Amino acid sequence: MEIRNRAFQITAMLIMVALAFTCQVHAKEYKLGLSLAITGPTSDAGNPYAKGVEDYFNFANETKILGKDTIHCSIRDDQYKTSVTKRNFEEFLDDGIVLYLNYSTGSTLGLKKDFEEEEIAVIPASFHAGNLVDSNYIFLPIASYSEQVVSLAEYIAVHNKGDKAKVAMFIHPSAFGRGPVEDAEKSIAAGLNIEIVEVVEHGKDLDSTAMLKRLMSKGVQYVICHTVQSPVAAMIKDASRLGIVAESFGQEGKITFMGAHYTGGNDLIALAGKAAENFYWTTSYNITSEKNDGTEKQLALAKMYNRDDKAANSHNYANGIMVAQVATEVIRRVKEKGLKINRENLYKELNAMNGANAYTPYTTVGPVTYSATDRAGVDMLQIYSVKDGVFRKVGQPITSEFMKKIK
Amino acid sequence: MSSNQWLATGNFFTAYKQEQRTFFTHLDRSVFSLFLALLLIWPMVFPLSNKYMLVIDSTLIAIVAVMGLNLVTGFAGLISIGHAAFVGVGAYTVAALCRVLGDSHGLVTHFWPIVILAGGLVGAVFGAVVGLPALRLKHLYLAIATLSFQMIFEWTINFMTFFNQGQTIFVGRVFWFTGKVMRREHYQFWYYVTLVVIILSGFGIRNLMKTRYGRCLIAVRDNDRAADAMGMHPGFTKVYAFALAGFMAGMAGALHAYLYRGVGFESFTLHHSISYLAMAIVGGLGTLNGSFWGPVAIQFLELQVEHFSGFAGEYLPSSMNLATALRPLTFGLVIVLFLMFEPRGIANWWRIVKSYTKKWPFRY
Repeated sequence: MEIRNRAFQITAMLIMVALAFTCQVHAKEYKLGLSLAITGPTSDAGNPYAKGVEDYFNFANETKILGKDTIHCSIRDDQYKTSVTKRNFEEFLDDGIVLYLNYSTGSTLGLKKDFEEEEIAVIPASFHAGNLVDSNYIFLPIASYSEQVVSLAEYIAVHNKGDKAKVAMFIHPSAFGRGPVEDAEKSIAAGLNIEIVEVVEHGKDLDSTAMLKRLMSKGVQYVICHTVQSPVAAMIKDASRLGIVAESFGQEGKITFMGAHYTGGNDLIALAGKAAENFYWTTSYNITSEKNDGTEKQLALAKMYNRDDKAANSHNYANGIMVAQVATEVIRRVKEKGLKINRENLYKELNAMNGANAYTPYTTVGPVTYSATDRAGVDMLQIYSVKDGVFRKVGQPITSEFMKKIK
Repeated sequence: MSSNQWLATGNFFTAYKQEQRTFFTHLDRSVFSLFLALLLIWPMVFPLSNKYMLVIDSTLIAIVAVMGLNLVTGFAGLISIGHAAFVGVGAYTVAALCRVLGDSHGLVTHFWPIVILAGGLVGAVFGAVVGLPALRLKHLYLAIATLSFQMIFEWTINFMTFFNQGQTIFVGRVFWFTGKVMRREHYQFWYYVTLVVIILSGFGIRNLMKTRYGRCLIAVRDNDRAADAMGMHPGFTKVYAFALAGFMAGMAGALHAYLYRGVGFESFTLHHSISYLAMAIVGGLGTLNGSFWGPVAIQFLELQVEHFSGFAGEYLPSSMNLATALRPLTFGLVIVLFLMFEPRGIANWWRIVKSYTKKWPFRY
């Protein structure tokens, strides 16, 4: 009897040890990769973006969102060079990543074929609509630049007093900048009641006086910018000096300046100072100057990882968090279904993120919806404008009507 | 091979023809053959990750480009600061074919050696055209003429819809006798292709320097009036120096297009032209082996700066953005230091090492 008891005890202990060992073995690490510009051009956006990604994955691991499993996201600086991004991507592939996070428009377009070949889902920081052309694996986090620009144009058409509004576009001299122009023109052809008077591709000019005077002489009432903050800041400072900035939306005889995601945020205010007043900006992200649950969580996350105020309040920090949230959520869902975490299952799950399965991260103004035919995440856009030195909400989130028509 | 057994201890040539040899001694030839064998064998014995193979392939392509730059700037003494544009011409030759025929057309994927040569030829044509101002211009003025070509190239690519306004134009995967070259073997495959191009070009340039055309280059560099007085044609020599440089650069560009499986404008900017010039200076202008040392040294430096930038970026406040400034700062410093203290470049160190080992244990 005693021997049987002893045998039972030993067996039970062995089972417990085996179970404990099995549990430890079952804790898995899922590898992800992010290549972005932490140094070099656009690093002012890349830096907080990287911090957002890093902090959220650390948070997800520490709070055990995936149970005992963890996410390991390697973050590499590519200095905004596609050749370096390619090198980083090759390194990530050798490491066995299951999902890839990319950054610039140039490198996303440049590596598109590699993504297709490798059949790996990619979430870039670029919202260029061209990323989705001839591509099945690129998932934009939010509405495309085209949608942002067309939404601003629709806002002008609705709120302009008088006849057809005269609009100029101020764009970056690259595919990133030029992308939305064609869609804006298509929207006009489809009935959008504005007139594009001129498309200005900015250089590295430090003075925009001549350009602004030309636009004024052509009767331009609105300028929609699609570039990065510094050229916009240089232009609106000149506009402010010339006294042509509208003090209210569509003020007669003055110009109302507007811009897409990468033109605005706190960096613009820091660069342009008072000249940024009344600048209209659209993005799908919540911003910390308009407090809500989401922004509170964003600030708490930044505090948890000792980020400075600049990073904590950056919309690109929110941008990075959001991308990490989507990646974590899709892994969680696949895991919940008892499926293996691999490229194929993550891709399928991302495509199923719609309808009742739509995901609402705390960083955005609307839910993330992906499907086999729609790979732009958050469709809702919030318009903000600078009032007394901070961005304030203008109305409720909107979606573009004309983008649906021209698709 | 060597009819003169005393060559290892000094110059004992008795005929001009003896001086024309590629290898002077059996030892020279054996060491070179062994080195070549090592270059061919090591990727099979110690396979590297794709990441590092990509770095090595890029370095080899830079070597091809710098060999061209060394011809025009090192041997012929004509400053070119638009070399990346010539590399771009070669790359965009491949891209243009892909735009017209499709990136998976048989000509692009099966006849790639011909396409690479075509890239070189188009580069040579552009080189000759850009070289025309060299008939009238010298020194800084010629440098400005080459700079203007760089600007015209950038503007053209950036605005022409045919070239996708500078955004990537894809190039299909090539075929070899074993079938389609897929990702697994892609970087190793292009390692061997580029290596073959370097070996052939290296022998080509070495032999060119023994011909009257090669000697013309050096004569025109040293004193073009004297060269003219001796019956050479300085104008023609300058134009063909540019054409040769364009040919090498064009081939490098075509190889770049195939390696990266795409052509984008950002790889052929003025910044890259300066990098090529830095490679040529650091390696040693006017020496063949300097074309090998320079790209290796600069790529190595670039990787180290990259690692250090990442390291420094973690500890420095992002507002300082010192890491961003590190690269241009380091490169500028390296070029200045080399120009001040070792204008003959790393090739001179190699010459000293060779000379020392040859005479060892004697000091002179």
